[in-house]
Amino acid sequence: MNNETILQVQGLMTEFRTERGIVNAVNDVSFSLERGKTLGIVGESGSGKSVTNLSILKLIQYPPGRITAGQVIFKGENMFERSEEEIRTVRGKHISMIFQDPLTSLNPVIKVWYQIAEALRLHHGMRKKEAKAKSIDLLKLIGIPDAEQRADNYPHQFSGGMRQRVMIAMALSCDPEILIADEPTTALDVTIQAQILELIKNLSREKSTSVIMITHDLGVVADMCDSVCVMYAGRIVERAAIDDLFYDPQHPYTRGLLDSIPRIDRAGGSRLHTISGAPPNLIDIPPGCPFQPRCEKAMNICSKQSPPEFIINGDASRTAACWLHAKEYNNG
Amino acid sequence: MADKDILLDVQDLSVHFPIEKGILFKRKVGAIRAVDGVSFIVRRGEALGLVGESGCGKSTTAMAIAQLQTVTAGHIFFEGKDLAAMSPEELRRERMNFQIVFQDPYSSLNPRMRAGDLIAEPLRIYARRGIITLSEDEIRKKAASLMDRCGLSSSFADRYPHEFSGGQRQRIGIARALALGPKLILADEPVSALDVSIQSQILNLLKDLQDEFDLTFLFIAHDLAVVEYFCSRIAVMYLGHIVETADAAVLYRQPMHPYSRALLSAVPLPDPRRERKRRRIILQGDVPSPSAARSGCPFADRCPEVMDRCRLEAPQLQMVDEEHEVACFLYASPSGFAL
Repeated sequence: MNNETILQVQGLMTEFRTERGIVNAVNDVSFSLERGKTLGIVGESGSGKSVTNLSILKLIQYPPGRITAGQVIFKGENMFERSEEEIRTVRGKHISMIFQDPLTSLNPVIKVWYQIAEALRLHHGMRKKEAKAKSIDLLKLIGIPDAEQRADNYPHQFSGGMRQRVMIAMALSCDPEILIADEPTTALDVTIQAQILELIKNLSREKSTSVIMITHDLGVVADMCDSVCVMYAGRIVERAAIDDLFYDPQHPYTRGLLDSIPRIDRAGGSRLHTISGAPPNLIDIPPGCPFQPRCEKAMNICSKQSPPEFIINGDASRTAACWLHAKEYNNG
Repeated sequence: MADKDILLDVQDLSVHFPIEKGILFKRKVGAIRAVDGVSFIVRRGEALGLVGESGCGKSTTAMAIAQLQTVTAGHIFFEGKDLAAMSPEELRRERMNFQIVFQDPYSSLNPRMRAGDLIAEPLRIYARRGIITLSEDEIRKKAASLMDRCGLSSSFADRYPHEFSGGQRQRIGIARALALGPKLILADEPVSALDVSIQSQILNLLKDLQDEFDLTFLFIAHDLAVVEYFCSRIAVMYLGHIVETADAAVLYRQPMHPYSRALLSAVPLPDPRRERKRRRIILQGDVPSPSAARSGCPFADRCPEVMDRCRLEAPQLQMVDEEHEVACFLYASPSGFAL
């Protein structure tokens, strides 16, 4: 049961055609997810973390977006070879998503219970009455007080935290095997964030749901995840088990990121470490390593050739896409 | 009367927004108490952080201080002078001394103005009114030097805001706020719209500028780690009230108000080993509506340590230690009535 790979993403490439040129939003991304585990995908805005996960469910709108290469293997089957009809049975039932902004993701003119019940009626063929009862159960499960009455409310009558709970109820209604949470707490206050993260943690533990947690907040990653992929300019630059990433980061970008966040558990006052410059424009990614113009340790080769993902300490799940590890690669 | 060290003195500030009903004949049916009896001081040279969750009134407080928001009650003294009692002309002169850095570097800059002009604009306005005497040439030079100082090449002076990244735009916003040589900067979430790697650049810049120009900051943010890094003293707000003020280090080591404690414990640390060991205080429910009239403590509905008394009367801010004030009955003197 343990270590069973449930989802595998291989060589994923997604691009968007815009007036100014082709944006390579996701550039050769591979990772795998094990049953019952939580994988974090961290990166700054525009690093491709959301597009990666939308691509998994083929939710990229064409045009302008297009998945140009790669495969997504869910329980041994390549999702990209399936028909739209077949993918629809996977979405919501086996793999579901929680989006960042709970206000725009809910339909404002449809009652809350009806929106939760939609997936139940579609995937499980439940009748209206039965689906409503199940929806109310779900609202209770996620901690909405007076669930019977609140089920008949519209989304605007709910607070931001409650709306995000509703999104979670919808995502969990069909007991999915994978939950993709795309910045689920970014729009929320910290005390509400703590409630929502606790909820996701407990539910995934109880039902051994695998979770992909997309976030820019390294604190959330430390709290929630078993392993992490760090993305930069559409590529995975480092992957590691949670502790390795925080205590032994191998890519200069990860190291810089960890050093540059102010932390409440450390005394303030001293200057923060900074990463100079800004993330590259994805239309015009510099040749070689995308992080090279901002990297303190850039070498000659970095601006010429893009580094492959080097395996660190012989552990295939621990990689860094950085030429600094080239020697290690040769030895191991 | 005023202590020379006190730059800004806010006394019992309230800002209520009326809730109106009716189309032709509007009548007031209630009020949103965005800020409800807030008092604090900001000393010369310090950075006071105002933290709290969305809707707690921290930005409204800043706008009221900047005289950009009508005050319902209370007084704001800047260097001992009551800002509300000033004529528009006097206020304009005084405004040179307190400037704002806004949260959103996208909507706070006029997209049709060039970066150099955006920074020079306050200087031009004040020169035109004869408040400062600078020639156009001097203004341009000053704007260029401000750009350089804020980490923007002055060769970018002819570019428009959309040609800059978010972090660079925030640098323009900062240079613009510095143009008139203010003593106090009201920084309203200056880094929350920025990416992590850019955030640290801007925070370092603000810190350097504080030393260089002897600036005093009222720093508003919801990110506790950012506030702790930047500020020497912190005031925690909840539902229009200040519930605790303390030295930054003291507050983080030893928060006293149950809300401050919950707030701090809710922040996830980027340290997985400690994170696994931490016990988190999870507050129940949501922040209540600020329009409801309440007689007790604003935090009573969500407080894990609520007592009967908390629902009946509102606790006042009380000194519990040097530089440490808390509004909570847990720390009231045993005699019961601590007033």
